[in-house]
Amino acid sequence: MRRFVVRVWALSAKEVRHVLRDPRSLYLALGMPVVMLLLFGYGVSFDLDRLPVAFVDHDHSAASRALRRRFTAGDDFVDVGELDADGAQAALVAGDAMAVIVIERGFERHRARGERATVQVLVDGSEANGATQLRAKAERMLALLGVDGAIRASGAGAPLEARTWTRFNPEGKSAVFLVPGITAYVLAIVAVLLTALTVAREWERGSMAQLFATPVGRLEIIVGKLLPYLAIGTLAVLLVLAVGMWVFDVPFRGSPAALALLSFLFLAGMLGQGLLISVITRSQMVATQAAALSSMLPSMLLSGFVFPIENMPQVLQWITVVIPARYFVEGLRGVLLRGNGLAELWPELLALSVFALVALGVSTARFQRTIA
Amino acid sequence: MSAPVIEARALRKEFGGFVAVDDVTFEVGRGEIFGYLGANGAGKSTTIRMLCGLMAPSGGAATVAGHDVALAPMRVKGAIGYMSQRFSLYRDLDADHNLEFFGGIYGLSGKALTRAIERAIERTGLSAHRREVASSLPGGIRQRLALACALVHEPAIVFLDEPTAGVDPASRRDFWSLIRELARAGTTVFVTTHYMDEAEYCARIGLMVDGRLVALDTPRALKARYVPGTSLAISGRGLDGAMAEAAALPGVLAVEPFGARVHVRFREGALDEAAVRTIFSREGRVDRVEPVEASLEDVFLAVAGEGAKEAAA
Ligand SMILES: Nc1ncnc2c1ncn2[C@@H]1O[C@H](COP(=O)(O)OP(=O)(O)O)[C@@H](O)[C@H]1O
Ligand SMILES: [Mg+2]
Repeated sequence: MRRFVVRVWALSAKEVRHVLRDPRSLYLALGMPVVMLLLFGYGVSFDLDRLPVAFVDHDHSAASRALRRRFTAGDDFVDVGELDADGAQAALVAGDAMAVIVIERGFERHRARGERATVQVLVDGSEANGATQLRAKAERMLALLGVDGAIRASGAGAPLEARTWTRFNPEGKSAVFLVPGITAYVLAIVAVLLTALTVAREWERGSMAQLFATPVGRLEIIVGKLLPYLAIGTLAVLLVLAVGMWVFDVPFRGSPAALALLSFLFLAGMLGQGLLISVITRSQMVATQAAALSSMLPSMLLSGFVFPIENMPQVLQWITVVIPARYFVEGLRGVLLRGNGLAELWPELLALSVFALVALGVSTARFQRTIA
Repeated sequence: MSAPVIEARALRKEFGGFVAVDDVTFEVGRGEIFGYLGANGAGKSTTIRMLCGLMAPSGGAATVAGHDVALAPMRVKGAIGYMSQRFSLYRDLDADHNLEFFGGIYGLSGKALTRAIERAIERTGLSAHRREVASSLPGGIRQRLALACALVHEPAIVFLDEPTAGVDPASRRDFWSLIRELARAGTTVFVTTHYMDEAEYCARIGLMVDGRLVALDTPRALKARYVPGTSLAISGRGLDGAMAEAAALPGVLAVEPFGARVHVRFREGALDEAAVRTIFSREGRVDRVEPVEASLEDVFLAVAGEGAKEAAA
C-alpha cells in the first residue's frame, strides 16, 4: 500500500512537471472554457434561419398587415399563420412557432400620429441558443422596419417599440442555459484530449516500454497519470461556474454534493475515454484526432447543449442515451437552475457511473503490459 | 564462477513462425560483465526482454536474481535495472527529475530517495548536468543519465541494451569505464553491443548469430579457438595483387584485407616475415610489417562464417 502511494505520487508529480514545462495544456484546460463561455454568453451563436413565427394581429390594419408581410419577407423568419391569443400560446408550447408577434390595437393609429407603436414579441426561451438568436433577429428586423420608408410614409417616423419577452427564462440571460452545455463541452474536450495525448506520448517516446520494465503496476500507471488531469478538470469546472455566476448571474440553486459527484463521474468517464483512445492508437497524431472528434461532436451536438434532445429525430434521440455529456448537461441544469439534489439526479449519476466504469474498465483491460 | 545470478536454459522466442532466439543456454556470475554480441537482428534485444520479464519466453526457462522470468516477472523487475536500446527517459524533464521519478517508481521516497539520487549522480559523474533538460544533453551524457536511472534503486543486476550505440568513441570509452567500476563494486552487468572492440572489456562473451548462441567464452579463449596463430599486418601500396600468392605460403591460415592493410595469419610457430616481405614487394611497395593481435572482429568473422556454412549445409 505504501509502495502504491509512492509510485502513484511519483507518476503524478512527473505529470505535473510535464504540464508545467509545457503549459499549453493548462491554457487549453483553463482558458478555453472561459473564452467559450464569454463568446457564447455574449451572443456569438450558431446561425439559424427560417425561424417559425406566428402573428396575433389586434389591429387588423394596413400597417399591421404590412408589418407582418415585411417581417417574414427575408430568410430569417417564416410566417406560420395568424392566431388568436390562446392559439399563439399553444403554438409556442407545442413548438410550432418559436415566437409570436403580437400587434396591439391602435398600432396604425399610433404610427400615423407619430406616437409609440408597440409590438410584443413572445419568444420560446426553453432552447437558449434559438431564443437568443431569435430575439436578436427580431430586434434587428423591428429596428429596420421602424425606419422603413413605406411604413414611415404612413406615420411621422416614430420608432416601433419592440418589447421582447423570453418565457421560461424571464431575465433573458442566455448564458444561464449555456453554462451547463459549455461546461460539458469543454470538460469533455480537455479531459479526453489531454489524457489521450499524455498516454500516447509515453508510447511514442518509448517511455511506456521503460515503465513496463519497472515493477510499477498498470493500475498505478493509470491512477498516477489520471489524477493530475482530474484535478485540472475540476479546476476547469469551478472556473466555468465561477465565471457563469459572476458575469452572467447563473444561479446555483441545488446541492453542491450533487454537483461534485456529477463532475467527478463525468470527468472519470472522459478520462477513461481518452485513455482508451491512446491505448488503442498509441500515436499522438491519431489520438489527437480521435479524441477531438469523439469528445467534441457528441458533447456539442448530442448533449442537448446546442439542439434540444426532444426536437431531435428519433434515431438521434436513441443515440444520445449512450452520450455521457447528455446526462452531465441535464444534471448540471438540474443542480444550477432547478435546484435539484442527489434525490432527483440519481438517474443521471447512475448513467455517468456506468459510462465511467465501462470506459475505465475497458481501457485498463486493453492496457496490456507487453511491448509491441 | 560463483553462483550464477542469471541462468538461461534453452531459452526460446518465436514471433509467428520466425525464431528470434533459438534455445540459448548460459549462466552469468555475480559481478561479471557479460557481453552479448551480434549483428542487428541477431536476437540480442529479444533475449534481454525475456530476461527482464518484459516478454514471455516461447520455450525454455530463465531465472534472474533467483526469480523465474516467466512465473515472477514483477519480482525480476524489482531486482534489476534496465536500459533499453532506445533512449526512453523524459526529454522535457531535467536529470534530477528523471532520477526522482524512477526512484519513486521503484518505491523510494523521502531521505532514501534523496540519498539514492545523490549516489546515482555520483556514480555516473553527472553532477554538472543535474538541472539540464534531458533533450539538451549531448548523446554520451544522455546515455549516462539513462544508466543512472537504471541504477537509482541500486539493483544487483543491470541489463544494458546497446548503451553506446550512436555515441562518439571518447564517450564510449567513458561509459565503459563506468561499467567496469560497477562490476568492481559487485553489480552484475549484462550488456549487448555490436561494437566488437568494446567486447574486449567483458569478462565473458556470448556471440549471437541469427538467434543462436554460437560461441560463449572469455575473449582470450575465443581468440585462441577461432583465430589461432599469429598475424602480420602489412601496410603499403598495391598489395592486393599478391594476396593469392601469400595465401599459398606454407603455414598461412588466412589472408584478409583489413582497411588499408592486409593481415596474414600463420599457424602457431610458422611465422615467416621475410617471405611475406618478398612476396608483397614484388607486386607493390611495402612500408611496414608488424605483428598484430587477433581482434574479436576476427573472431566474429570466423564464427559468423562458420555459422553461415552450417546454415548452408
Ligand atoms: N515483437 C516482435 N515481433 C516480430 N518480430 C520481432 C519482434 N521483436 C523482434 N523481432 C525480430 O526478431 C529478430 C531479433 O530482433 P532483436 O532481438 O531486436 O535483434 P537485435 O537486438 O540483436 O538487433 C529480428 O529479426 C526482429 O525483426
Ligand atoms: Mg537490439
